[in-house]
Amino acid sequence: MFEKMLNRTYRWAQKNSLWVLPFNTGGCNGCDIEILDLLTPRYDVERMGILAEASPRHADVLLCTGPVTYQTRDAIWQIYSQMPSPKWVVAVGSCGATGGVFTGSDTVLGGVDKVLPVDLYIPGCPVRPEAIIAGLIKLQEKIVKGAENG
Amino acid sequence: MFEGLFYLFVFPGLAFQVFCGLAFEWVDRKLLARFQRRVGPQWYQPLADLIKLFSKEDLLPTGASGWVATILPLISLAAVLTAGLYIPVAGFTPFSFEGDLIVIVFLMGIPTLAYYLAGMTSVGIYSILGGARSLLQYFSYEVPLLLAFSGPAILSGSWSVAEILKSQAELGPFILFQPVGFCLAIAGLIGKLKRDPLDIPKAKSEVVAGSLTEFSGGKLAFWHLTMDIQAIVGIFLLINLFFGMPLGISPWINTLIFSGEVLLVIFILSASSSIFARLRIDQLASLGWRILVPVGIIQLLFVILMGV
Repeated sequence: MFEKMLNRTYRWAQKNSLWVLPFNTGGCNGCDIEILDLLTPRYDVERMGILAEASPRHADVLLCTGPVTYQTRDAIWQIYSQMPSPKWVVAVGSCGATGGVFTGSDTVLGGVDKVLPVDLYIPGCPVRPEAIIAGLIKLQEKIVKGAENG
Repeated sequence: MFEGLFYLFVFPGLAFQVFCGLAFEWVDRKLLARFQRRVGPQWYQPLADLIKLFSKEDLLPTGASGWVATILPLISLAAVLTAGLYIPVAGFTPFSFEGDLIVIVFLMGIPTLAYYLAGMTSVGIYSILGGARSLLQYFSYEVPLLLAFSGPAILSGSWSVAEILKSQAELGPFILFQPVGFCLAIAGLIGKLKRDPLDIPKAKSEVVAGSLTEFSGGKLAFWHLTMDIQAIVGIFLLINLFFGMPLGISPWINTLIFSGEVLLVIFILSASSSIFARLRIDQLASLGWRILVPVGIIQLLFVILMGV
């Protein structure tokens, strides 16, 4: 009974305080600029409790943009393992989902799900800020339902 | 016995200060957002952040000393909570004694030292940089802050915050006599709280998160709580030293005046963090020692001459 209440409180808090770590896994920087838009007055994600953090140890969500290249493969895994669980991974953009136009290149491994367990894909090239906000709200709903990786 | 425990844990103590600290964080973030034409966080945001941090896994890099990293935020939290006990809230103070201003200043310095040690124990590069920067910053802002605090003490002839408050009820608010001292105290407080113009030790674009880069989970939650309570304790102290209030009318009127003054100081802090850009560490050191300290000494001489 008590444990159930505690879990519900924790999920409520996790839902309302998503700290996000944007990470470029080797993309063209287009999606990163759209992610920066989220912090501007027009979109302002702080009203939903979402903050951009710089340290992986403070972050809850890893926002990966771009296809995973062979060079960033180890770095992305290292960053993911430095994040304290419960943690979630969101693949932003077409390249993050599948590799996009870079599929088949001899330096590209593929989508983010080749390396990390991805919770949510947000398609678009580049992704519109509204789509990222919609995706993060979907992630919040997922957290309340109790799905968790890591 | 029961009364003492009530003082320690409920009213001027733990519960009240935690509540005020979280409320401060919300008001500050909301004001900052409104200054930037954003909507800003919901009212429960600081509470949700705190609970979430407690629910997370607690990691440390290999080579970091676990018990030192655990004990540092607890020590600094205890220090700021103790400092808060001696500060009159709306004229009410259970533990006041002669010289408590010095004790408060000493206790408020402990979190900075703990912050430095936290940077040194967690072995990351950014934490060490942040720790060293926090100590450098401490040497720049602490002297002007102490000069600013000694102005009211000399004018009222006592080093007890409650006595200073009492003499302000007779003489009038000290901000009228020493506006420069008040500005120095605000600058020093911003430096002590590592807020925006002087957030050199935790500058996000330079040193990731300073000393706290490698902290996560409950330890980080305690650090955030310490920062919030340190802010609210510093604001209470500033109000008691410079604004004061007419004592002995009614506790309700005092509470009203006190809350208004708290909101005013938070407004000043938020406005300055939204207006000014971050200084470099050498700019801060030269600002501190070339401008703020001489101005503080001149203010102090003025106060001494006026007091005579």
